[in-house]
Amino acid sequence: MRRLHPLSALARVGRGTLQGAFFGVIATTVFVGGLGLPGWVTPLVAPTGALLGGGFALARYYRFTYEIVGDTLTVESGVFARQSREIPLGRIQNVDIRQGVFNRLLGLSVVAFETAGGATTEATLDAVAEGEAARLRRLVQRYGEEPPEQAESAAETELQGESATETELQGESATETGLRGETAGPDIEELFAFDLRDLVTYALVSVRPAAPVLLLVSLPLGIDVLSTILRYNLGLVGGRPALSPGVLEAIGPPRLVVLALLTLAQFLLGALVISVALTLVEYYDFRLVREGDDLRYERGLLRRYSGTIPLSKVQTVSIRENVAMRRFGFATLVVETAGYSGGSQDAGQGVAIPMAPREQVYDLARDIEPFDELAFERAPTRARRRYAARFAIVAAVVTAVGYAVDTRLLETGYWWLLLALFVLVPPAAHLRWRHRGVALADDVLATRSGFWRQTTRVVPYYRLQTVFVGRSPFQRRRNLATVTADTASTSSLLGGAARAYDVDDDRAAQLRDTLRERLYTDLLQRRTDRYSTS
Amino acid sequence: MESLHPRVRLLWAGRTALSALVLAGLVALVDRLLYSLPLALVVAGWVVLAVAGAVHALLAHRIWRFALEDDALFLVRGVVTRTDTSVPYVRVQHVDTTRGPVERVAGLARVVVYTAGSRGADITIPGLRPARATELRERLRELAGESEATDAV
Repeated sequence: MRRLHPLSALARVGRGTLQGAFFGVIATTVFVGGLGLPGWVTPLVAPTGALLGGGFALARYYRFTYEIVGDTLTVESGVFARQSREIPLGRIQNVDIRQGVFNRLLGLSVVAFETAGGATTEATLDAVAEGEAARLRRLVQRYGEEPPEQAESAAETELQGESATETELQGESATETGLRGETAGPDIEELFAFDLRDLVTYALVSVRPAAPVLLLVSLPLGIDVLSTILRYNLGLVGGRPALSPGVLEAIGPPRLVVLALLTLAQFLLGALVISVALTLVEYYDFRLVREGDDLRYERGLLRRYSGTIPLSKVQTVSIRENVAMRRFGFATLVVETAGYSGGSQDAGQGVAIPMAPREQVYDLARDIEPFDELAFERAPTRARRRYAARFAIVAAVVTAVGYAVDTRLLETGYWWLLLALFVLVPPAAHLRWRHRGVALADDVLATRSGFWRQTTRVVPYYRLQTVFVGRSPFQRRRNLATVTADTASTSSLLGGAARAYDVDDDRAAQLRDTLRERLYTDLLQRRTDRYSTS
Repeated sequence: MESLHPRVRLLWAGRTALSALVLAGLVALVDRLLYSLPLALVVAGWVVLAVAGAVHALLAHRIWRFALEDDALFLVRGVVTRTDTSVPYVRVQHVDTTRGPVERVAGLARVVVYTAGSRGADITIPGLRPARATELRERLRELAGESEATDAV
């Protein structure tokens, strides 16, 4: 059995000692007086806490062992409650390696193994040496390509010299039987890399919706900067540069509007800067390579992330384009496996190509999961009426709220300007309708939706899990239904399952039956293929 | 298509009435401690919720249907948003029968079907007679086995 890197023990013991001491100090101030303990105890509590904290961290380090033997990863951990976990290598979906700034200086990496079950990461090694991380990753990768008993030795020899052989895409047959003719190192082929110019373009184009929220939340921290900017704005529109409610009344409504617009523009600019900075940090030096049957990516400026995505375990391929990217013919490729638990993960999860010309993205998508030209069928036009009705309701509510605010508080009398929102309703409904669609191709189901951020999801039939057909009361009135095709992929948790919105009722039933049928025929097809190749 | 045991209506209606009672209790607490409210309003609120729950239970029972079709378990449910769900037998990971304390008193059981899917990964058929629930579980297990275990994920 192996242990984690000793330097990581040092870091943990240090942290444990500090935490223990801190807890001791708190405990002293809170309890010693109250419990009436003798005075000489007081100076001893903090050191005892430190000793206990550090000791526990050390014990945890010594209790934590792991090893890959044959075809299982074994992890033993826990000081009081002991845990021993065995994970079959064939069940591991992703291996992720991350390095924080501190770990990069020490040459350490955190390795996380994800399987399909469970709500959290199944095994996290925090932290091992970089070389060891690479060794573990290779062992898991190798499992699919060679007999298990040779895997370990082969991986070790491979560390010295890389030898290249043709390895084909379909690794599933090998995963199942564990047998393959030739054994050699996988060839590494670079599929995509970001140069700085493309990265900056990407950062500018892919605005994060979270950035304004982030800026808003952090405003109280930069209160000085905020007040300076506000004062400057006031000076620009000709007010007294002082922050008090009285100043606002001195300037009339027209200049107040200018002030508001100016501040809003600055706010959005600030959000854009934050968004760009975050994207630059996240995707700096992005590289995607193919290593045998796996995709492997690396990215990050401060924290480095790298991870493997086994091609044979891909559940869904998504292509995302926001308005700006679509205009210039670019797209993002996202590949999903069943590995992640969703929720707390960062946005970069599963991104295979952040931004590339659409053809390149589709080529790689087809390489991962072969599919023909997708002929999308749109929802019936009565769906468009439904969207129009829905947007009209939103516009009406906004206008009503605006009217209430204006008559009660502002008294400008300009609330009717909000009625202009109704002009936007027809084009908005049309755009939503136009950008939604479903396609039944030869081997995959594809769905598409979203105008601002269009997402095209490609789900192979043999990956389908459950098919839902939902009809809300409003849909029932118009004989429409939404067909949801669930897979085991992760992001469906976040409401991103492949969905065909507002298809005709009969078409929905037809879709459901087709999907169910194709699931069985395609599974059978794959099984016979597998037996005939092995 | 098979429907649920009629007694499940009582169970559902009782559950809403009980939750409404808890809510009424909280409101009564607010009334006592913070802000005085007319008692009639609280009672009326409870009655409205309980009646709505009973109607919902009646409708839900009328709509709920399930069937073991030749390749998938098929369910229809939902009063407001009607959903039909197809769970292909190949995708069934495991099947449970569960009986909560209230269900035991009512002499009912439920079957929970788990899939590897991420959305509605557990599909529940409530309101079954225990014997039927066991039978259904066994049958689903058989069907899942027959459809040949493949790499589920």
